[in-house]
Amino acid sequence: MAKKYDINEVEVWDGNYAASQALRQAQVDVVAAYPITPSTPVVENYGNYVANGYIDGEYVMVESEHAAMSGCIGAAASGGRVATATSSQGFALMAEVLYQASGMRLPIVLVVVNRALASPLNVRGDHADMYLGRDSGWIQIDAFNAEEAYDLTLCAFRIGEHMSVRLPVMVHQDGFITSHTAQNIHPLSDEAAYKFVGDYKGVDDMLDFSKPVTYGAQTEEDWHFEHKAKQHKALMDSRTVIDGVFAEYGKLTGRNYKRVESYMMEDAEVAVVGLGSTVETLRVAAKQLREEEGIKVGIVAPRCFRPFAFDEMADALSGVKAIAVLDRSSPGGAMGAFFNEVSAAVLSSANRPLVTNFIYGLGGRDFSIQEAKRIIREQKAHADAGHITTQIQQFSGLRGPKLGFFEAKRS
Amino acid sequence: MVEIRWHSRAGQGAVTGAKGLGDVVSTTGKQVQAFALYGSAKRGAAMRAYNRIDDEQIINHEKFMLPDYVLVIDPALAFSDNIVENDKETTKYIITTHLSKEELMSQLPELKEREERVYVVDCIKISIDTIGRSVPNAPMLGAFVKISGMFELDYFLDRMKKVLSKFPQKIIDSNMDAITIAYNEVK
Amino acid sequence: MSKGILAVDNRGKRELGADKLVGWDEVTQGIVLTSFEGDAANIASLKAEERTYSDFNSYTATVASWRVIKPIYNRDICIDCQNCWVWCPDSSIISRDKQMLGIDYDHCKGCQVCVEVCPTNPKSLLMFVEAEEIETALAQWPEKKKN
Repeated sequence: MAKKYDINEVEVWDGNYAASQALRQAQVDVVAAYPITPSTPVVENYGNYVANGYIDGEYVMVESEHAAMSGCIGAAASGGRVATATSSQGFALMAEVLYQASGMRLPIVLVVVNRALASPLNVRGDHADMYLGRDSGWIQIDAFNAEEAYDLTLCAFRIGEHMSVRLPVMVHQDGFITSHTAQNIHPLSDEAAYKFVGDYKGVDDMLDFSKPVTYGAQTEEDWHFEHKAKQHKALMDSRTVIDGVFAEYGKLTGRNYKRVESYMMEDAEVAVVGLGSTVETLRVAAKQLREEEGIKVGIVAPRCFRPFAFDEMADALSGVKAIAVLDRSSPGGAMGAFFNEVSAAVLSSANRPLVTNFIYGLGGRDFSIQEAKRIIREQKAHADAGHITTQIQQFSGLRGPKLGFFEAKRS
Repeated sequence: MVEIRWHSRAGQGAVTGAKGLGDVVSTTGKQVQAFALYGSAKRGAAMRAYNRIDDEQIINHEKFMLPDYVLVIDPALAFSDNIVENDKETTKYIITTHLSKEELMSQLPELKEREERVYVVDCIKISIDTIGRSVPNAPMLGAFVKISGMFELDYFLDRMKKVLSKFPQKIIDSNMDAITIAYNEVK
Repeated sequence: MSKGILAVDNRGKRELGADKLVGWDEVTQGIVLTSFEGDAANIASLKAEERTYSDFNSYTATVASWRVIKPIYNRDICIDCQNCWVWCPDSSIISRDKQMLGIDYDHCKGCQVCVEVCPTNPKSLLMFVEAEEIETALAQWPEKKKN
């Protein structure tokens, strides 16, 4: 039985510490990890809790992130609650095994502290690694601050381990901006947290000797498609479970999460759509501009990056004239992936707003309130003109000559 | 919103100082933010840490800041780093130095222009005398408590003891001494 | 062709590749395949022919039609040395308590390894064309070779 950990009603924790406390409170059985900046403290703290008797679990040291996720898969298939953490290059090396975890329907929780992908080498935050995971079949939930990293990590166990979901879940937070920024956090008591998460319930455990099973079977063309379709269906169906878990967590804490978060959208004429800690900075900018310049601007952000809330995104943006979609990942010769997804959702509704794309914050470049305001004013200008007055894709916060691509064609 | 910028060298404890301050501030019911700009920084490299303090939840995550207080815990950084960057007419400076305020200002004209907002204290000497090595973060907290008037000294010491409660008693006591001496000596 | 030793055996009951192709809603979750039907806690103590192998287990599948020549076993000459059992790459030699019982023709691919490693004179296992009757083969078994 694990020792009791002293915890205050209000703590000042950074995102890494918050996530590691959630792992402790969920009493994770196995963490197999290969620590990497900026997510190192998540698994480092887990090891500390195990060593000092605060968790009845096992920390497995491995030789790479590929091995870390492989170890997690073995432990999860055996029948335990499993989690790990990674970032950037580590995430990239783990990528192959991510698909194995989701294909085998193992509810592993992966804390991803978002960090840029080399080259150039960079330890700071952008969303290149998060984007790399977007087709991997995992549920991806995004925390905008440290307290949310704590909340959503607890929720992740509930969601992934739900009997009708049984899928692995990533909980994302921004490297340094969230992971290393300490803020007021209101944690649950250990008892309340564990009660919320509940005991781990196994499905097809390999250590159940009364029912020997094969994991990772080969299928080829006559079976593969059906299995992937079933997996996709499970991911799509997880939406209602996620809503339910969020609602239950809201009753417990007063902190209410939605798969698409909307701020000041009731009367909004223009909107900015973003991900991560940027969403909160955008809210500050929007509030100030409403007061200072009377621009009716709102902010929309997916809490759930996967499954993508296609309907809710379209609904949230149904009343606006202009939208800026912010991508914090180098698009590699296309429009930002997030821009494409938001645009597709908006296209499905009757509203046809003017949508532009900003590439910003790569490698941890600061996203300032000033820049957020500039982007919002530009949306107002598009709305007033009735057409896009700039290039469709622009780089924001970049030194050197203005960089942008594609003109809107007007007849 | 009160905003604080720490100028430090990696390893001097600015991050710990900023988080410690955050811990204490949170016990007053206020909202805090403590973060730093470092990553793969070598020990000794110039770095900055930041605090934000407010009554409302702090959702601003920009690194850009117009500080109300600039805390310099390494004596050389007053000379080599741009400590007056993005300051305001009201920004207060607390600078670690063995020099007197007049001697320091005579060498740094930008501080002379801000004379009535500049305070000095020798955090390095105080930490060596009390803690036994150069960890200037604790004394800087004492100096900040005095200049900001944000807390009574006794309240701050009491809360700081709780923050440090996992350390041996000797370390807690020497930190309390360092904070108290700096509180009394800053001018 | 002989199916083995017990009536309950479900060895090789289905031709591999001729499985019923079900839709996405009927495939197993996570491509997890069970080896046995029912509680298998005691399965290791049961002989293969007594086990409740599931349809996902290769034991119940057969690829025997691939074979063009087959080994035939002659009990009268065999010394139960177990060489063929050790060497068979498809676990198709059936042996109990170190006594040779016969060939699993549902899984044997006709590779001839058993014949090669058989030490008796004449050999206790010889290859014949697939269509050969066992009785006919045994009737024309060669004599012991001198030297």
